Amino acid sequence: MSRKRSSLGHTLLNLLYIAIAIAAWQAIVVIFHVKEFVVPSPVAVFKCLFFTEKVAENTWWAHISTTLLEIIVSFAFTAAIGFLLAILICWSKILRSLIMPIIEVLNSLPKIALAPLFLIWLGYGFKANVTIAIICAFFPIVLNTTVGLDSVDEDLLDLVRYLNASKLQIFLKIRIPNSLPFVFSGLKVSATMTVVGTIVGEFVASSKGLGYLIKDSQAMMNTPPMFAALFLVSAIGLGLFAFIGSLEVKLMPWNRGAEAKS
Amino acid sequence: MNKRKSVSFNAARIWEKIKTPAVVLALLILWELCVRIFKIKEYILPSPIVVLQHLFLKQPDANYNWLIHIRITLTELGISFAITSALGILIAIVLAWSSTLKKIFMPVFVFLNSLPIVAIAPLLVLWFGYGLKTNILIAFLVSFFPIVINTTVGLTEIDEDLLDLVKYLNGTKLQIFLKLRIPNSLPYIFAGLKISSTMCVVGAIVGEFIASDKGLGFIIIASQYTMDSPPIFASLILVSVFGVALFGIVAALERMCMPWYFRVRERG
Repeated sequence: MSRKRSSLGHTLLNLLYIAIAIAAWQAIVVIFHVKEFVVPSPVAVFKCLFFTEKVAENTWWAHISTTLLEIIVSFAFTAAIGFLLAILICWSKILRSLIMPIIEVLNSLPKIALAPLFLIWLGYGFKANVTIAIICAFFPIVLNTTVGLDSVDEDLLDLVRYLNASKLQIFLKIRIPNSLPFVFSGLKVSATMTVVGTIVGEFVASSKGLGYLIKDSQAMMNTPPMFAALFLVSAIGLGLFAFIGSLEVKLMPWNRGAEAKS
Repeated sequence: MNKRKSVSFNAARIWEKIKTPAVVLALLILWELCVRIFKIKEYILPSPIVVLQHLFLKQPDANYNWLIHIRITLTELGISFAITSALGILIAIVLAWSSTLKKIFMPVFVFLNSLPIVAIAPLLVLWFGYGLKTNILIAFLVSFFPIVINTTVGLTEIDEDLLDLVKYLNGTKLQIFLKLRIPNSLPYIFAGLKISSTMCVVGAIVGEFIASDKGLGFIIIASQYTMDSPPIFASLILVSVFGVALFGIVAALERMCMPWYFRVRERG
């Protein structure tokens, strides 16, 4: 009970900090007559976000939903396929020796540089952006999950083998639960990468979406929509983070004690 | 039995050494074969041989003067990575020195690190204009937080018993830093530097995508407009080589700076 109250107090305190920061920002812009094309005031950003019908030929909701959909689709795909691939790698030694070196090599490359290539291959828009985001976010989750599936207590494995457990049972009861902390830290890395990939994809290959809006506002020297879009992008990223965090608590209730301790 | 084991052990060790180049070579050969067998059009996927030939075309025939662009990108990478690592480690030392500063700034850094920082690149272009300086700044901002966070963690997470012992022996704060905290943080610093080296390349390339008329990122974007794919692939290969080389330098430095760490690990 008291923990709940203290966490509520914590949230209030954070909100207070944010309010102070916004007030200070407004004050600085007003007092020093900062030009709007350098830094817009929070009021201007707020006005732009809530009282502007159209920015860059589309409504705010069109931009937001485009980016949101790209992020959700690419993240869902990355998480599902990455997890399955890691299980396959861990299941079969042949697959591991075939796939793992390729994944390690690809992981060390700056994948984001591929973005313009997907534009040539897939054309403008949704498909290209989702692909770019997947390529950026895919490898951390595969590598992390594989490590998690591998790093099982040998004694535990011996015990279960002695009890005649099948390979499937070992996976379901030991390897997969054991890998969850690694999966979630991989998912968190991938979440940021997905957002980065989507936004850069929209920078180079799009006519809609928050990344496109940021790029377009730069060309127009129109900063209020740019700042608004930056906040929205950050909010989406943090939302994804929070979603993974709540999933983590749900799927690994046993881990909560450890987290509280640290 | 024993002999056979040692032979297979040696083979495994040799494979471990040549694995990465072998995989790269295999992928390149597969790529060349695919292009030849399926007769893929050059603008979709040029063969590696065509791509490499492009890199060595002399100026009047080549679309780009490669040396200029390579030099620009390398300058950006070198400067931004140097600033990131120097400033990152320095700030981490300050944070580890004063627990008040750590309490104030560490949450801010962790928060910023979870944001997609690349997204502010266009804003920086607006503020600082096109070109080298802006790209260095973007690469710096993108790669800065991992190294600060990692180093701070490495400097502060110290075996309490060891700390007690040194305090009991009247070790000064400076001595604790020099003899305990900094050696303890080295593995964390290098892990952070490895992340930052990759991020630096990402930042520099994205910077060149949106704000540059020179550099390999610029070549990628400019060739995309004209659907001229051999230069894109040539740039991609160069960018990858630079990224891997930067990573390799960090890894080599790591081996030089903390030989004890690898001795312990090799012994198992």
